[in-house]
Amino acid sequence: MQLKRVVITGIGVVTPLGNSIGSFIEGLETGRSAVRFMEEWTKYIGMRSHVAAPAELKDEKKIPRQSRRSMGRMSIFAVQAAEQALADSEIAPAGLSSGRTGCVIGSTMGSSRSINDVFEMMLPDRDLTKLPSTMFFQCMSHTASANVAQYLGLTGYIAATAAACASGLQAVGAGYDLIRLGRQDIILCGGAEELHPTVTGSFDVLFATSAKYNQTPQKTPRPFDKERDGLVCGEGSGILVLEEYEHAIKRNAKIYAEITGYSTCGSGSHMSQSDKRSMIKCMNEALQNAQMTPEKIDYINAHATGTPQGDTEEAGAIKEIFGDAVPVSSLKGHIGHTLGASGAIELIASLLMMEKNIIYPTLNLDEVSPDCAGLNHITKPVAKEVSTILKNCFAFGGINASLVCRKI
Amino acid sequence: MTEQEIIDKTNKVFEESFEIEKDKLTPGAHIFTDLGLDSLDIVDLVVALQKSFGVKIRNEEKVRNIRTLQDIYDFISAIKNEDAGKSS
Repeated sequence: MQLKRVVITGIGVVTPLGNSIGSFIEGLETGRSAVRFMEEWTKYIGMRSHVAAPAELKDEKKIPRQSRRSMGRMSIFAVQAAEQALADSEIAPAGLSSGRTGCVIGSTMGSSRSINDVFEMMLPDRDLTKLPSTMFFQCMSHTASANVAQYLGLTGYIAATAAACASGLQAVGAGYDLIRLGRQDIILCGGAEELHPTVTGSFDVLFATSAKYNQTPQKTPRPFDKERDGLVCGEGSGILVLEEYEHAIKRNAKIYAEITGYSTCGSGSHMSQSDKRSMIKCMNEALQNAQMTPEKIDYINAHATGTPQGDTEEAGAIKEIFGDAVPVSSLKGHIGHTLGASGAIELIASLLMMEKNIIYPTLNLDEVSPDCAGLNHITKPVAKEVSTILKNCFAFGGINASLVCRKI
Repeated sequence: MTEQEIIDKTNKVFEESFEIEKDKLTPGAHIFTDLGLDSLDIVDLVVALQKSFGVKIRNEEKVRNIRTLQDIYDFISAIKNEDAGKSS
């Protein structure tokens, strides 16, 4: 069976640096951090980390009420990013209900605020009668995907990936497979996530968050840095339009890149600890899938969240495959860790680096930690021809994902 | 509770919960065809009315017969009168 080629023809974002591709890129270009002190989190007993990278919820009333009522914060982000991506792709709305267009959008879980609200409403009196009819639609695991599909009238393959911080990249990988196999012509792929103290709290209890920089929030997270002390949660959504190559060519679409390789695998070793061996396996499989050797990669967009253990494992894995030849950076210093959205948002940033032939650096990487040394760390913007990229995501549950793209 | 208070409180529910402009809220307005509510909205309408008027109407069969805003005013009025009768 001849596999189809898959290209990316549209992108859209809501990020802590702005709610459009333009504002996002401007933030990266100017080296801005979106991390701030979260005064409202200081009331939680035991919460060590009081920093986060919030996105701005705006223009939500432009979504008609009967569509909006089933959307929590993250689904609104996803719908807004999907609308941008669709407009960018210039796909005619008529094609959305052909049955050949679908969406795969992932997140760690449903809207954390809505889930919290349900329990706030229900638990004090054990009373279900106060619950609004649409709360479940905001809380369900596939809320972002279902809301985007309903809002846009998509009638093809609709699914959600749920692999914590690898959800967004797994969604892109799933879309890639669906189009390669000829099952769909177009898939809107990506991830969405929202900030909430319960989300940051879940990392905080594991001592995985950054807690030393509450008074100097712009200095954290610090991927690969000697003084890194954990991750900082962010929120937002990134959506990409994936399209079958001939389909895109026929309508003369703008093509950002071709997806040429993808792999996802489990570590099988630990629920929360990253694992270098399985990361190596994942990246190597993605390269093999792309029929590329490591030296052909021009840029690696690392997962690197700023946790001591995770960054060490990823740096070790990259070093073993690529040595110090390939430029590496992480964007978590700019936008924090947008969890289930991170794979998609950061892949979009990487595509824009390809378009502009510039590599954005790792913010807050002042002194490379000895256990992360031996890589070509990018600490200042670098002008360079970027024709191929590799994007990594690693998640709780021992889940790894790596994706390879090339310019065409 | 006066008739006008019932009208005002009910209309407020439609403005706040369903984002419907004030000038559309006439007594004869059909809640489905004129105001655009659907089956999910009816669940939320009942929750909002219960909260607004401090009544329990979720299991009332008569809720199913509501079609217009006037039907809601009459329904709430009847419930309120019933409650007042019980307490006296």
